Amino acid sequence: MAVYKRTYKGYAGPLTHPATRFLVLQRYAFRAVFKSRMLLMAYMACFIPCILVICVLYLNQNATVLALIQQKAGFIKVNGSFFLNFLAFQSVLAGVLTAFIAPSLISPDLTNGALGMYMSRPFSKAEYVLGKGAVIAFLTGAITMLPAMLMFFVQSSLLGWNWMMNNFYLANGTFFSCAILIAVLTLLGLAMSAMVRWRIVAGALILAVFAIGKGFAAMIDSIMRTHNGDYIDIQILLTKVSTNLFQVPAPIVDEIPIVGAWIALLAICGFLLWILNRKLRVCEVAR
Amino acid sequence: MNAPHIELEDLRVTLGKREILRGLNLQLRGRTVGLLGPNGAGKSTLISTLLGFWKPSAGTARVMGLDVRTQAREIRALIGYMPENDCFIANMSAISFVRLGAELSGLPPDQALERAHEALFYVGLGEARYRKLGAYSLGMKQMAKLASAIVHGPKVLILDEPTNGLDPQARTRMIKLIQEMRALGTMHIVICSHLLRDIEETCEEAVILKAGQIVHYSNLEEERASNRRFVEMETEGDDGTFADAIGKLGCVCSVTAGKIRTVLPEGIEIRDIYRLAADRDIQLRRLNYKRDSLEDIFLKAMDAKEAVSGRL
Repeated sequence: MAVYKRTYKGYAGPLTHPATRFLVLQRYAFRAVFKSRMLLMAYMACFIPCILVICVLYLNQNATVLALIQQKAGFIKVNGSFFLNFLAFQSVLAGVLTAFIAPSLISPDLTNGALGMYMSRPFSKAEYVLGKGAVIAFLTGAITMLPAMLMFFVQSSLLGWNWMMNNFYLANGTFFSCAILIAVLTLLGLAMSAMVRWRIVAGALILAVFAIGKGFAAMIDSIMRTHNGDYIDIQILLTKVSTNLFQVPAPIVDEIPIVGAWIALLAICGFLLWILNRKLRVCEVAR
Repeated sequence: MNAPHIELEDLRVTLGKREILRGLNLQLRGRTVGLLGPNGAGKSTLISTLLGFWKPSAGTARVMGLDVRTQAREIRALIGYMPENDCFIANMSAISFVRLGAELSGLPPDQALERAHEALFYVGLGEARYRKLGAYSLGMKQMAKLASAIVHGPKVLILDEPTNGLDPQARTRMIKLIQEMRALGTMHIVICSHLLRDIEETCEEAVILKAGQIVHYSNLEEERASNRRFVEMETEGDDGTFADAIGKLGCVCSVTAGKIRTVLPEGIEIRDIYRLAADRDIQLRRLNYKRDSLEDIFLKAMDAKEAVSGRL
């Protein structure tokens, strides 16, 4: 029917599967995020270290290069520390990226009362969070988990099956340490965006959470003369689980048990989900 | 008789420690139903409950036979909701906003885009559909919300204060659209408003809420019909005996400011009045069927102390 005809008719056509509806929100959010060319360029820049490291991995096993520098076994050692350092660098980029993109995801909806529009459809609060969170998860995953996995497979293709099997803990560590990092950044970004409606403040707060947590942790540690303060320092907790997964000795963060670090991170995720649940309300109750 | 599209059985909703809806019993069957009531009567809470935003603390509510407790998602697929307050994404164009609503309701992207264009043309925003919603006037925003509410072809359309803040011209356009949709007969329309004139112009039936209870329900069409026997006349050439003559027919009659008002009893028709005037050589210059306005009905309902339950 021609669109200019001023008429109305019901709809009896096909419907999409309910399980895929959250992707609608993700698609629209992506479009909104990448409207900014600066952000797009900054995001592209996040891939430069990944490309460089993969190039280094290739050159590290290249016979011509090794002959040139007169080394037999490669000029760098590809082990847990190598992956850990790479991910630590990329995690900082992921954190900054989250601080830029997360505030624009939920706060505009809350400011304009758009939640009513979403929730009056066959669409739940969980799907809303999933749809918005998928944007952060996908973008941060693409600069952390994806290149680290690619590095692992490039190295495996260069050194063969045996290396891959012997170092499978690197893939395992990459997956789990990136998964918990992405989960924390996603939920933190969404929670701050839901709590603070001023985008710049929300972005600053995302970064400040790490600094504030570190400050409080140091304060608790010095007052109590224990290391229990580390449980609220997200950076220490993430480092602890990553060093454990990559089998790297880490004396600095060796004071809290690994199980405690995992539980603390999951508790932080639970707390952030609770904040989201509290803040994402279609109707407010005047008690 | 049609199956009710909305059924409430002893519906109670408690928010915090306050009981907002207090035992509503109702069956709505009409094509367009008006929800009336003063501020704080529970109109918006009832709508929120029907949409599944609040769970009933007791009783049940069903929309198209689906329970709001257990089938809220299915219900929301059948409902188009136009909220009272601002509910849009400022950086989005109207076409993207309406399309997003359609896609969230389950329409495939291409279908959603086509329907978004159609819906925006239908509400009169065709030429402005690529403009950002933030740049829209209040009237245009209301129309965009209406387009978003109807884009997926809902079976039940809930309009919460649809003419809120509109200028007379925009209000007339909104009322005309609602009347058009009613005439199409493809959806049930529930209009929540405190503007009696809106309800009177658009609805066949009205439910009046007060303090979380239904204090009155009425079929406006029937009310209008039942009051048709109240007649108001202006005459020329009357020497003052015409009112007495009407009274002798058995009608209760009063004369004020040159106007004769009477209620026709059973067995007396309007033609008897014409005949009486002709016999006395009196000209009937004006003759109106006077009826109770919705305002009269509303004010009576506000005075009512007892809640009622009804089948509309």
